[in-house]
Amino acid sequence: MSAAAEVHASDGHDDHGGDHHELGFWQKYIFSTDHKTIGIQYGITALLFLAFGFYLMMVMRWSIAYPHEPLPGWMSWFLSDEWKSRWLQDGKVTGETYNMFGAMHGTIMVFLGIVPLGFAAFGNFVTPLQIGAIDMAFPKLNMVSYWLYFLGGLVMCGSFFVESGAAKSGWTNYSPLAGFADSQIVNQLLAGQTQWLLGMVFLISSSLLGAVNFLTTIINLRARGLTWMRLPFFVWAMLVTGFLLLLAFPPLEVAAIMQLMDRTTGSSFFMPSGLYSKTAGLLEASGSGSPLLYQHLFWFLGHPEVYVLLLPAIACVAEIIPTNTRKPLWGYKSMVYGVIVLGFLSFIVWAHHMYLTGMGPVVSNFFQTTTVLISIPSVILLTSMLISLWGGSIRFNLPMLWAAAFIPMFGIGGLTGLPLAFNLVDLHLHDTYYVIGHFHYVVAPGVLFGLFAGIYHWYPKITGRHMNTFLGHLHFWPSLIFMNLLFFPMLVQGMAGFHRRWYNGGDAYLMEKAEGANIFGNTVAEWLWLNPVMSWAAWLLAASQIPFFINFWSSIWFGKKIKNDNPWDATTLEWATPTPPPHGNFTFDVNVYRGPYEYSREDHEGDFYPQWEEPKRDEPADEPAEKPVS
Amino acid sequence: MEIPYTFTARKDTGLFNSKIGIWLFLASEVMLFGGLFSGYVFLRVYADYPWPERALPVLPGLINTFVLIGSSVTVVFAWASLKMRQWRRFQFFMGITIACAVVFMILKGMEYNAKWHHQAVRMDDFTILEGHTHKATLDEHGHLHGIHHGDEVPGGAFPQNVVVVETEEINLTLVRAHDPYVEDILEKAMARGATPVLKDDAFFYGAPKDMRFGATAKDIEPAERAEGEEKLRKAHSSGNHTAVKFGKKSLFIPKGTPLTTKLLDQAEEVFLDARSNNGRVRTDALRREWKRVRSEFPDEKRDYKLAKEIKITPELLTGRVAEAPSALTFAFKEPVALHFKRSVIREGDGTSRLKDDTILKGKVASSPLGLSVDAVDLRWVAQRAEEQGKDPDAVIAKLWIMENPGFKEIWERHSAQLASLEEHLTEKYGLDEHGNPKRVPTENDRYRIDWQDLVAFHRAHEKHLDADSPEVEDLRPGMMEGITGPDHKNPEFQHAFFSIEVPNEKVAFESLFTPKWNHYYAIYFTITGLHGLHVVGGALVLSYFLFFSKGLYRSNPEWLANRVEIGGLFWHFVDLVWIFLFPILYLM
Repeated sequence: MSAAAEVHASDGHDDHGGDHHELGFWQKYIFSTDHKTIGIQYGITALLFLAFGFYLMMVMRWSIAYPHEPLPGWMSWFLSDEWKSRWLQDGKVTGETYNMFGAMHGTIMVFLGIVPLGFAAFGNFVTPLQIGAIDMAFPKLNMVSYWLYFLGGLVMCGSFFVESGAAKSGWTNYSPLAGFADSQIVNQLLAGQTQWLLGMVFLISSSLLGAVNFLTTIINLRARGLTWMRLPFFVWAMLVTGFLLLLAFPPLEVAAIMQLMDRTTGSSFFMPSGLYSKTAGLLEASGSGSPLLYQHLFWFLGHPEVYVLLLPAIACVAEIIPTNTRKPLWGYKSMVYGVIVLGFLSFIVWAHHMYLTGMGPVVSNFFQTTTVLISIPSVILLTSMLISLWGGSIRFNLPMLWAAAFIPMFGIGGLTGLPLAFNLVDLHLHDTYYVIGHFHYVVAPGVLFGLFAGIYHWYPKITGRHMNTFLGHLHFWPSLIFMNLLFFPMLVQGMAGFHRRWYNGGDAYLMEKAEGANIFGNTVAEWLWLNPVMSWAAWLLAASQIPFFINFWSSIWFGKKIKNDNPWDATTLEWATPTPPPHGNFTFDVNVYRGPYEYSREDHEGDFYPQWEEPKRDEPADEPAEKPVS
Repeated sequence: MEIPYTFTARKDTGLFNSKIGIWLFLASEVMLFGGLFSGYVFLRVYADYPWPERALPVLPGLINTFVLIGSSVTVVFAWASLKMRQWRRFQFFMGITIACAVVFMILKGMEYNAKWHHQAVRMDDFTILEGHTHKATLDEHGHLHGIHHGDEVPGGAFPQNVVVVETEEINLTLVRAHDPYVEDILEKAMARGATPVLKDDAFFYGAPKDMRFGATAKDIEPAERAEGEEKLRKAHSSGNHTAVKFGKKSLFIPKGTPLTTKLLDQAEEVFLDARSNNGRVRTDALRREWKRVRSEFPDEKRDYKLAKEIKITPELLTGRVAEAPSALTFAFKEPVALHFKRSVIREGDGTSRLKDDTILKGKVASSPLGLSVDAVDLRWVAQRAEEQGKDPDAVIAKLWIMENPGFKEIWERHSAQLASLEEHLTEKYGLDEHGNPKRVPTENDRYRIDWQDLVAFHRAHEKHLDADSPEVEDLRPGMMEGITGPDHKNPEFQHAFFSIEVPNEKVAFESLFTPKWNHYYAIYFTITGLHGLHVVGGALVLSYFLFFSKGLYRSNPEWLANRVEIGGLFWHFVDLVWIFLFPILYLM
C-alpha cells in the first residue's frame, strides 16, 4: 500500500484535517500556512528590503562621490525635515550617518534581503514541489518563520527613527565598538545598537525554524521513487544550506545574546580591561572581556553565511542550465558531493576574516590552508555548470541570460577571493575596497543574477504568465554593464589603498595630507576619479531595475499566457502541477521513475523525459528499479 | 489536506516528521550551548583577574541536579504509560515531571534573588569587599547618615551606595533629557522644599511659516530681534504662548519658571522645529553655493579642492535661521543635596554628569559607601603584587582596609589559622625532594576570607578559643545554615560581619552580584538564564500535554505518545545541559 494512500485512509481520524471550506482573505494571503504563499510573501518582502538596502547604498555612494555637497532632492525628498536636520549636516551626509547607512546596508542586504529571497522564498516555493510533497512538514511553523522574519525586519528598520539612529558599528557589529556605541541612551531598548541585536535574535530564530522545517521536509516528504540521487540539484543545495543555517546561526545568537547582556546589564563579555572612550571616559565596567571571542563567534556564522547566500543562487542556475541547454547537468554526482564537502569545509574556514587580529601564525596558517581547500568544491560546482553549456543547443530566453551571466560574474567574485585567502596578501588588502569589490562580485552580479534567473524561470509557474521579454532585456543588459562598472573599479581602488570606511571616498584624507603623502605613494589621488564613475553606475543600476519592477507587477495581468503547465519543457516535478499550483499541489499520485535531468535521451522521443512520466512497458529500466518507498 | 508522516513513521527513514524536527532542533541547541560553553572556556582562560572558584552555594545546585535527573526519568515513565494506554499513570508521572520543573525554578529564583541583594565593591587598591549595603537617609542639612542593623529604618531610606551632589544648577539637554531622571530630581528637590527655576530668559524663535519665500537673513538683525523679543514677552504675559510673528512655534520662557517635564517637552518641540528649519535653509544655501563654485571653476574636478571655495554667508540664506537653545539651565536658590545611584552619575570636580547628559553644577558631598562586610577578597591584590614582583604580604599590610581595627583583628586570626593549616598540610603530606611542602594552601585559603570564616572566627571568639586552634574549623556554618549564601538577618551572623564605610574616592567599581560584577557572574547568569528559559518552555509544553490533551488521547493516543516523546527528548536535552553546567559553574 502506498504512503499517500495510507495517509488518506487516516483522514477520518483527524477532525482538523482536510480543508472543506474556502479560506478567508487573511488566512489565504496573509496568515497563510501554504508553502507557496509563504514563499511569495518572503520573496516580495525580501525584494522590498533589497530595494531599501540599495537606497542606503545610493546615499553612501553620494557621500563618496560628492562628499561636500548636499544630498540631492531626488534621494531625500521623502525624508522629514526633522530627520534630515538630525542626520544631515547642511544637507551633507555626515560620517555618523554614513556609518549608520553602511552598517544597515550590509545587515539588510544579507539578513533581510538575499537570504530570505534565496533560501526562504525559492526554497519555500520550489522545494516541496520538486520533491513531490503537498506542503512543508510543519506548515504552521513555516508561517511563524515568516512572521518572525517580518518582525525582525520591522525592528531593524524602526531603529532608523529612534533618537540614537540605527546601528552604526558595521554589519559585523564588532565589539567593543558595538558594545558601547549608543551607551549614552538611558533606555537601551530605544537604542539602535540594541535594536539591531533584538532584530537579529528574531531573524536567527526565524532562520532556525525555517532550517528545521526544510530539512525535515526534504528528508521525510520525498515522493515515492525520489531517491537521494534522483533529487534535483536545487534540493541538494537547499539541504546543505539548511544544515549551514541550523548549525552556524546558534553561535551568532550566542554572540548577540552576550552583546545584549553587555549593553543592557553592563557585563563585559567583549569589553577588555581599561577601555577608554573620548566621550564616555574610562569605561565603567568590570573589563577582562575578549573582543576576539566576539569575532570568533561572529565569523563562525559569517563564513557559512556566505554559502547560505550563494547556494540558493547556484541551485537556481543549476536548474535553469539543463532546461535551456536541453542536456543533462554535467557531473551531477560530483556537484552533489562537491556541495556536501563545501558545506563541511565552510565551518572551518571562518578565521580567514581575522588575519589582522593577531591570532598568531599557527592559527592563521591553518585557516589559510582550509580556505584554499574550500576553493576546490567551489570550482567543481562552477566548472560543472560551465561544461554543462558545452555542445548544448542553448535557448537564450530570459532566465538563461541571467544564468549564463552568473557564471563569469561569480567566477570573478570567486577568483578575486583567492588572494584574500593568503594571510600575507590579506595584510595589504584587508579592509580596502578590494574586499568590498570581491564580495560584492559574489553577492551582487553573482548571487543576485542567479536569483533573478530564478524569478524569470519560475514566474510562469507562479502566475501562469511569462514575463515580458523586451522589458527583461531592458533589465538585463544595463544591469550587467552597470554592475561591472560599479564593482570592477573597487578592485582597482582597493589595491591602490582605498580604505572601505572612508565616508567621503578619500577626500577628507587628501584634504588633510598633501597629495602623494600617503604610504602607497599618491595612488589614492590617482584613482579618486573613479568615485563618481562608480556612483553614477550605482544610480543607473537602480534605474535599470525599473523595467524589472514594471515587468514583475504588470506581467501578472498582461504577460503572455503559458502554453501548458510545463512551458520550459522541463523534467522536474514542480512542472507537473497545475498552474498556479493549488493548495496540496499535485492532482495525481506522484511517482518518480528517473533522475532529474533526462534531456535529449536517444531512447526517448521528444528531447525531455520528465521524472514523473511512467516508462513504457517495453522500455528497459535504466537503473535497477528502486523499491517503492512506502 | 493532511501532511504525511505526522504520527506514523516513514518506512525508509524510520522516523515521523517531528522526530526528525526535534533532533535537528537539538543539534542547533547543541551549537547554541556549545557556543556558550566555548565562551566560558575562552573567558576563563584569558581572564586577567582571579576567577571566582566555587563561589556559588553548592546545595541548591546539587538538589537541582537530582531534581532534573529525576524528572527525566519520570517523563520517560509518562511516555511509556501512554504507549501502554494508561492515562492515569501518564497524568501521575507527567505531574511529577512538571512539579520537578517548578522546584527547579524556585530554587533557581532563590539563588538569583540572593545574588541580586548582595553587594560587591572593588576598591582602588584592588581590595574586594562583599556584603550588604546599609540603608541611609539625608538629614535636613543634606548630610548622609548610614543606618546600621538594629536601628529603625525610616521611610525614604535608600541603600547607602549613592553619590550626593550639593546641586546649585541643573543643565538639561532638550533632546536627551530622560523624563524619569527629571521627575526623580524634582521629587527629591520637592522633598527638601526646593524648586529648580529657569536661570535666564529663554527665547525660542521658532521656524517662520514663510521660510522658503519671504524672509531674509537681515530679519535677525539686533533691532528686530529686540522687537521680536518684546512681542514674545507680551504674548507670554497675555497668556498666548505661541507668538505669531516669529513663526508657528515660537516660545518664550521667562526667567524663574519652575522646571516641569511638560515645559521641557514644549521647549523640545520648538527646538526641533527650529533645527529642521535651519537645516532646510542651510541646505538650500549650500546647494546654490556649489552651483556657483562649479560654474566658476569648470576645470577643477577634485571636490576636495573645490570644497575650500565653499562658504555659506548670511547673504546666501533665503530663509530666516531660527534660534533656539538646545539646553536649559535651572537653578536652586541654595544648593540642594541630591543623591544619585552610582551607576547613573559620573561625578566630577564642580560638575557631575548624569547618563542623559544632564549636567549638575555643585560640589560632591561626602557620601561613603556603607557596607556590612561578609567577605574580603585579597586575591587580586596578591596577584597584582606578584605581577609587579612585590611581596604580597607586604602590599596587603599597607592596604587601606588594614586601618580598620575590626578587620585587622580578623586578618590576624586568619593569618594564625593559615599558619596552622600550612603546618598541618606539611605534617600530613610531607616534603618533596627539594624540601618544599608537597601540599600548600590555595590562593583562596590564603587571600580570601569568606562569610563562613567570619562566622567561625566570631564563634571562636565567643568561646575564647585560640585562632590557630583546630576546633575553629568545626565552627564554620554548615550547608544548611545559609542555603543561598550569607544570611544578614541572622543576629549571630550580624555580629560576625563587620561594618565599614568606604569613602567615595576609594570605590573603583561596585556592583551587585549581577552580570556587571565580573564575567564569571555574567556567564553564570547568561547560561543558567537561558537554561532556565528552556526549563520554563519545556514545562509549559509538557503541561499542555498534561492538561489539554485528553481529546487527542481519545482520538489518536499514538499521536499524543509521539508528542510526549518529542517533549521528552527536549527535556532530556535540558537535563543534559544542566549536567554540564553544574560542575563548571558550581564545582570548578
